[in-house]
Amino acid sequence: MQNEVPPRLEMTGITKQFPGVLANDDVSFAIKRGEIHALLGENGAGKSTLVKMIYGIMRPDAGEMFWDGAPLKARNPKEARRLGIGMVFQHFSLFEALTVLENIALGMDGGLSSRALEARVREVLKAYKLTLDPHRVVSTLSVGERQRIEIVRALLLNPKLLIMDEPTSVLTPQEVTQLFKTLRQLASEGCSILYISHKLNEIKELCDTATILRGGKVVDECDPSKETSKSMAEKMIGGDLKAVAKGAERQFGEVQLAVRGLSLGRGHDFGTALKDISFSVHSGEIFGIAGVAGNGQNELLAALSGEQHAKADGVIELCGKPVGTSEPSTRRKAGLCAVPEERHGHAAVPDYSLANNGILTARHRRELVRSGLIKHSASHDFADEIIAEFGVMATGSKATAGSLSGGNLQKFIMGREILQTPEVLVISQPTWGVDAGAAAFIHQALVDMAQAGSAIVIISQDLDELLALSDTLSVINEGVLSAPMDVENASIEEIGLLMGGVHGETADSAKTLPTKPEAEHAVQV
Amino acid sequence: MQFRFEKRAEPSRIMLYATPVAAVLLTMVLGAIIFTIIGYDGIGAVREIFFTPLTNSLKWQDLAVKAAPLIIIGVGLSIGYRANVWNIGAEGQYIIGGLAATGVALLTQNMSGWWILPLMGIAGIAGGAAYVAVPAFLRVRLKVNEILTTLMLTYVAVNILNYLVFGPWKSPTSFGQPQTVAFNESQSLPYIIEGTIVQAGAPIAIIVALVAWFVMSRTIFGFQINTVGSAPKAAAYAGFSANKTILLALFISGGLAGLAGMLEAAGPFGRMVPQFPSNYGFTAIIVAFLGRLHPIGVLFAGIVLAITFVGGEVAQTTIALPNAAVGIFQAMMLFLLLAGDILIRYRVVRVVVAKGREAT
Amino acid sequence: MSTTLLIAMLITMIGASTPILLAALGELVVEKSGVLNLGIEGMMLTGAVVGFAVAYTTGSPWLGIGMAALVGAAVSMIFAFLTLSLSANQVATGLALTIFGTGFSALFGSEYTGKPLELFKSVFPAGLAEDPYLRLIFGHSPLVYFSFFMVFAVWWFLSRTRAGLILRAVGENDISAHSIGYSVIRIRYGAVAFGGAMAGIGGACFPLLLTPQWVEGLTAGRGWIALALVVFAAWRPLRLLAGAYLFGLIATVELYTQAAGGVFRIIPTELWASLPYLATIGVLVLISLGRSTNANAPACLGKPFEAGH
Repeated sequence: MQNEVPPRLEMTGITKQFPGVLANDDVSFAIKRGEIHALLGENGAGKSTLVKMIYGIMRPDAGEMFWDGAPLKARNPKEARRLGIGMVFQHFSLFEALTVLENIALGMDGGLSSRALEARVREVLKAYKLTLDPHRVVSTLSVGERQRIEIVRALLLNPKLLIMDEPTSVLTPQEVTQLFKTLRQLASEGCSILYISHKLNEIKELCDTATILRGGKVVDECDPSKETSKSMAEKMIGGDLKAVAKGAERQFGEVQLAVRGLSLGRGHDFGTALKDISFSVHSGEIFGIAGVAGNGQNELLAALSGEQHAKADGVIELCGKPVGTSEPSTRRKAGLCAVPEERHGHAAVPDYSLANNGILTARHRRELVRSGLIKHSASHDFADEIIAEFGVMATGSKATAGSLSGGNLQKFIMGREILQTPEVLVISQPTWGVDAGAAAFIHQALVDMAQAGSAIVIISQDLDELLALSDTLSVINEGVLSAPMDVENASIEEIGLLMGGVHGETADSAKTLPTKPEAEHAVQV
Repeated sequence: MQFRFEKRAEPSRIMLYATPVAAVLLTMVLGAIIFTIIGYDGIGAVREIFFTPLTNSLKWQDLAVKAAPLIIIGVGLSIGYRANVWNIGAEGQYIIGGLAATGVALLTQNMSGWWILPLMGIAGIAGGAAYVAVPAFLRVRLKVNEILTTLMLTYVAVNILNYLVFGPWKSPTSFGQPQTVAFNESQSLPYIIEGTIVQAGAPIAIIVALVAWFVMSRTIFGFQINTVGSAPKAAAYAGFSANKTILLALFISGGLAGLAGMLEAAGPFGRMVPQFPSNYGFTAIIVAFLGRLHPIGVLFAGIVLAITFVGGEVAQTTIALPNAAVGIFQAMMLFLLLAGDILIRYRVVRVVVAKGREAT
Repeated sequence: MSTTLLIAMLITMIGASTPILLAALGELVVEKSGVLNLGIEGMMLTGAVVGFAVAYTTGSPWLGIGMAALVGAAVSMIFAFLTLSLSANQVATGLALTIFGTGFSALFGSEYTGKPLELFKSVFPAGLAEDPYLRLIFGHSPLVYFSFFMVFAVWWFLSRTRAGLILRAVGENDISAHSIGYSVIRIRYGAVAFGGAMAGIGGACFPLLLTPQWVEGLTAGRGWIALALVVFAAWRPLRLLAGAYLFGLIATVELYTQAAGGVFRIIPTELWASLPYLATIGVLVLISLGRSTNANAPACLGKPFEAGH
């Protein structure tokens, strides 16, 4: 019935080549008016590249794009916005030190006076029932509020197409519900939405159509409501899902890591204070810590690794010995290895060879240094060992860490710590940015390590990952760690509420809150 | 034809070492052109500044004398810069090192013995290190930018020097000249080759560079300095204390500048005079960069910059080129070197410009 | 102390602070855009020699100032090209610019050594400009009024205009500014050019406003003090005015106490001469004791931006 109306956006045969990677290979699809269209794919499937071309940040090497039937000629984001294309980035392009209003003004091309702009902003906020104070400085806002700025900024331009790049990766389940309401209202007003995600449940709940990308190619276009999460996941990954062999008969041993009443002030202006954190992890146990980004995960990891000292030595006990105020090297020697979230410049030095990156943390446990002198050949051997055992794609131990892809560097770092066979391993985001194959490999390595008797702490924002791996789970919110729960008995609603900062509610009372239970939430990808 | 930069997968080691050489060569070409345009004998200037000191064997001794302090200070600065601490006040630490050594000399005026020179050396090192201690502690304790504090203290050091040689340290037999008494034999550096002006400074400079090379490439301390400088968060994670590293790096650079000051005072100057600040401390910054912050690179870069110093003096007498021209040549060298840095991480590729597309 | 002496001292103070103020205002804008140009001293020296040469040969101080601004901006473009287009290290490039400016000014200044120049005096009628009281208002060089105007102009630009907002945004988060569609590199080129022009004018103040002759290295580290002032002022133009006057005051006190002799002779001249530098260190220490002001520092200050390649 809409045959004569051209689609809002049509892509035909889009191809984009980067040095060494074919990011998009003959991609074609169309978005109708008022449609919520999902672009589904793993990290590295080519979603972001595609979007950057629509938004005018990049240009395709081949293929054509049509906007309302006419060729799309946006040479930069400004021109794209003028055509009515709005975009909300995964990593917000916000200015911390500026106010909400100033941030919005920067995204507008017209010369609206700040008073007129404020009036328009308030109008939009009202129309979509969003709460946001235009005069607040961004650095004081929560992640959800920050995303709202981006959305308002896009809405002010009366977009005909709104691109949302992984919008929910940093939101609590409750914030997600609110976001979906806004998006549905927009779509009902005729705005098309291109929704980029790898979260299957969300796509099932929200989207009318899904285009699935794998390795830069369109592998399928489907109606998500007629698919199961499992079937879409298989298309996205291109194979049967492999479950992690968890080894159910694992026996827990002695307490290897005990934290009692750990409190730390905010390290810097945008940091989170840790408040009275206590937990313990046994030999053989995997302890998961869930939570939305920026709730104290990095501070907790720093306190455990020794980059930050606790107030008293006894606050952290490692294999029965107090280490709360010891240096990282001392803790490593005593059996605690840690991997921070950020790979480049924190867990690894990009300009250093893999051999030197080995020296960084393994110099004591692998004896790569003797009486102040570096044993260069031993460090190269160690790097080669990691490369071989963890299947790191690298030219050798002399390759710089910066030359490795994200997934390979992650494998290298994980290998570096695991091969030191620590009694306690603390990792943040073990599979962030890693492809499914590598993720499965890392997961298996962690489970095997626990099996062999190590105590493991995993800090992750990926709830599915935590549910699959951990034996015990806690949630961190604003620097407070919830009481640990047995993963077998944990409920998604309860975890979601804890992530959103609702403390002290029991699972029962939580269920009375008006949150929609989201089906199949725990599908493991 | 258009070109653009394309990121390399790995930094190019060839470019790392080729660009300093290219920068020196390009400085000669551009320098000749520019100085011809502004009305000097451009080709003559390049010939006298860069080649005469090498071809004229009488100038070789001068080279050794000038290169020694540049290398010693340059090695210290390069260690500091690797730790990402920007001591640009080496000139001040050099002056204070020289003054500390002079202080010892004045106290031991009527004494003799083998121990006096080493004592002056220790005083020089301690003086330079002590003078950088203020910026060092301010940086570590209060996060005060060391660039500004070290530089400010250089101006203060010049005033301290003037105060002493015009006042309490002025020689009673100097007929009103602002200078100290001449150092005696036990207070002066020995000549290493009879009949030349080359004193012990030159071999000391080579030893300093070799020791620094060993420390920076073989020891965990060198690894620590590099890590703190290039990735501070990774350094903290690896268990290296940033504050200790910064303090040590600054003390080393200050101490070596002080040592250079002592060697100059007890060597070519033989007494303390207001002309003691010779810009070595500032030129050594260029030396450190041209040497790629590598002790052996600094050794060569020190010689290159010494050539321009000696050559500048030659050009002044032979073709009446103002001495300031040398400064311009040196600055050009640093500019071109920094410009060439991009070739380490990027390669230049030719862009085939398609219709309707503009290269960005 | 008589009122006229106080007025004379105030006028000296305002004059002595003007070159630092102008150069620091320029650097403030540069830093707000996220660039750290340590070459102020070099650009000031370049401006000083050009200002002197042009004013001396043409007899027009206006022309001298205009050329100082132009040449200051021109040499700042060397810095801009290296750091912005070729992403060279900003600290090292700034130092190179200072070494260059020092050599350049020494080379071209040598022929002007010992030649007399007329000071750029007040353009108001003598009745106003030389009145012992009214000269506090009318007795200044046009350069002084220009510096007042620029304090206001920079404040207004940064806090009240859209262009100023964009410039601050670029200094705050260059990657975001780029992704919204602003040309980070072009905006920074503009800021660096402005900083160069202001440093050039600030340098020209030395022969035209303070001592009417050419002396090699006459800026004596004032460019570096200007850098410290920007930190002291927490990147706020009005606080910059206060900071610059503090340094003008120190210079004035030094001048008057030396002239007065007597008891002031006890303190060696070298200590007086060291005072501005020691005060700079003192000011930096004070600033870092009061942590909060650093929150106003542009987040991208000194970091290279490479999205352009």
